[in-house]
Formats: sequence, C-alpha cells, structure tokens
Amino acid sequence: MNARTTLEIIAPTVEEAIAQGLAELGLTADAVRVEVLDAGSRGLFGFGKTQVRVRLTVNAPAEEPAVETAPAASESEPTPAPVREAESQPEHDPLLDQAEAVVSKLLHLMGLEAQISAHYAENDRPDRRVINVDVRGDDLSVLIGRRSETLNAFQYVASLILGKMVEQFIQLVVDVEGYRSRRERQLIQMAKRMAEQVVKNKRKQTLEPMPSAERRIIHLALRDHPSVTTESTGEEPYRKVVIYPKED
Amino acid sequence: MKELIEYIAKSLVDHPEEVQVREMGNGSRIRIELSVAKDDMGRVIGKGGKVANSIRTLLRVAAEREGKQVTLDVVEPE
Repeated sequence: MNARTTLEIIAPTVEEAIAQGLAELGLTADAVRVEVLDAGSRGLFGFGKTQVRVRLTVNAPAEEPAVETAPAASESEPTPAPVREAESQPEHDPLLDQAEAVVSKLLHLMGLEAQISAHYAENDRPDRRVINVDVRGDDLSVLIGRRSETLNAFQYVASLILGKMVEQFIQLVVDVEGYRSRRERQLIQMAKRMAEQVVKNKRKQTLEPMPSAERRIIHLALRDHPSVTTESTGEEPYRKVVIYPKED
Repeated sequence: MKELIEYIAKSLVDHPEEVQVREMGNGSRIRIELSVAKDDMGRVIGKGGKVANSIRTLLRVAAEREGKQVTLDVVEPE
C-alpha cells in the first residue's frame, strides 16, 4: 500500500484548496486533517492574485485504492466519459491508455517522474478528439517553463505522436498540478481588472505577451464587456492582447 | 537525451527504420544530429520549424536535468 497520506494543494482560496484536495483523494472532509501552510503568498506565476497552500493529511488508512485516477482539478463537473477507476473498473479505454503511455514515455525520457491520468475533455467530439492529461508529481515546474512554453511544446509533441499512432489527430491538453486551470482563473481576473482601468483612464492597455490559448481566455473573458474591445497584436511568441476603450 | 530524440522521431515518421541519431561532443556541450528519410523531413521539422523547435524545447529540459547544454540539428540523409 503506498496510498498517499498527505497532499499539498495550492489554490486561490483555502476553500478551493480543500475541495480540490478532497476531490483528488476521493475523501470527505471528516477523513482528513487540514493545515493551512500559507494563507496568502503572492501568486506563484507573477499575477497579483494571492495563493494559499494547504496540506491535507489522511486520518486513518483509507480504503480507497487509487489516487492517480482522481478527477481533474480543472473540471468543475464530472466527466461525461468513463472516469477511470483503476481496479474497481476494469474497462480500459484504449485511446486513453495510449495517451497516458505516450505522455509517460516522454516524461520518463526527459528525466521526469510523475503520475498521469487521461480523460476525455468536455468538448471532445468524434470529429474533434480532445483528451485532458493530468500530470502530478514533485518538481514539475520545469515542465511548465516560461509562459508555459515548455508545457505547450510538450503537449504538441505528445499530440503528434498519439495522432500518428492512431492515424487521427487528437488534441492533448496536458496540465501540470492544475496549473492551466489556476492560470485561467488568474487570467480572467486580471482581464477584468485591466478592463476596469481602461474604462477609468479611457486609455488602451497592452498586456504581457502570451501564448494563443491564454490570449483566447482574455478575449473570451471580455467578449461581452460593455465598454471595452480586445485585439491581439505583434508576432509570435511576443503576440499580446490590447484592451481598448469602446468608442461611444 | 539521444533516446528521447530517437523515440520522438521514430514515432513521427513514416520510415522509422531510417531514423538515425548521433550524439557528438563531450563534457557539458553536446550536439545531437537527427537524420530521417527525405520524405520524413517535413514531419520532424514542421511548418516554420514548429515541430523541431518543440522537440528542442523538450530536449532542453532533459539536458538541464543532466546539467548539460544540447543543440539539435536535423540533417539530410547521406
């Protein structure tokens, strides 16, 4: 039995951290002890929002077996596709297994050790396959890299390899310790804050360079904003979003 | 690091048997030369070098973990 007995979670609030941790462990609140390690350090990745760090310790040896198969922290709703439950559910999805195998092989060859679990994304469709792959482990910040460049390169190469294996393009979205979902929340908050400034000062604001997936988050976050518009300018990899006040 | 390049290249091409990876240099600076079949060049280079650059990014992580600096060149088969 090497079931994990403690787990550290970083999230914007203590509540979210605990919820995320419990979901990952597959336990309820009364089965763990909660310690708040850091009640509000500066955001890990430079954005203003604070982060808290919480440690969950499992009280008694848990019955539940697999920790690896925990549902993704990035998902607010249960996956529609079969959630993999290791032993308790012998039904293996070959495509998810292959996705896990490719990611695991690449990580191993890069000298990184991690737990991997793949599941179908909510927007997965037969003509447009999307698989989320959660990677968990220690010291994985090298896999994210500056502005998630490394993570994007990793998921690109992994998608190509899998696509070649099954002769169909499969979009893999690789996340490390919930980084992408956390980053998405931070970007949305930042977008809203910046939009307020633009409205207040009646002057455009240029954001930092970001990869396309992150720019998209900003555009979407402000799409329905009544008094600003957004646009991307510049060349990759320095392309950035500009927020303009709406003319009236 | 050589194994990483070998695995990626062989997984992407139509002719894995023609994939050749050579590791050169000693000490902390290493150069890796990848050669694939002529009609597989595009698969490992990609549009605007996107695939090759992504592979280089992954190689850099592997190299850093060994405390080394590595460059990757994709070369024409002899």
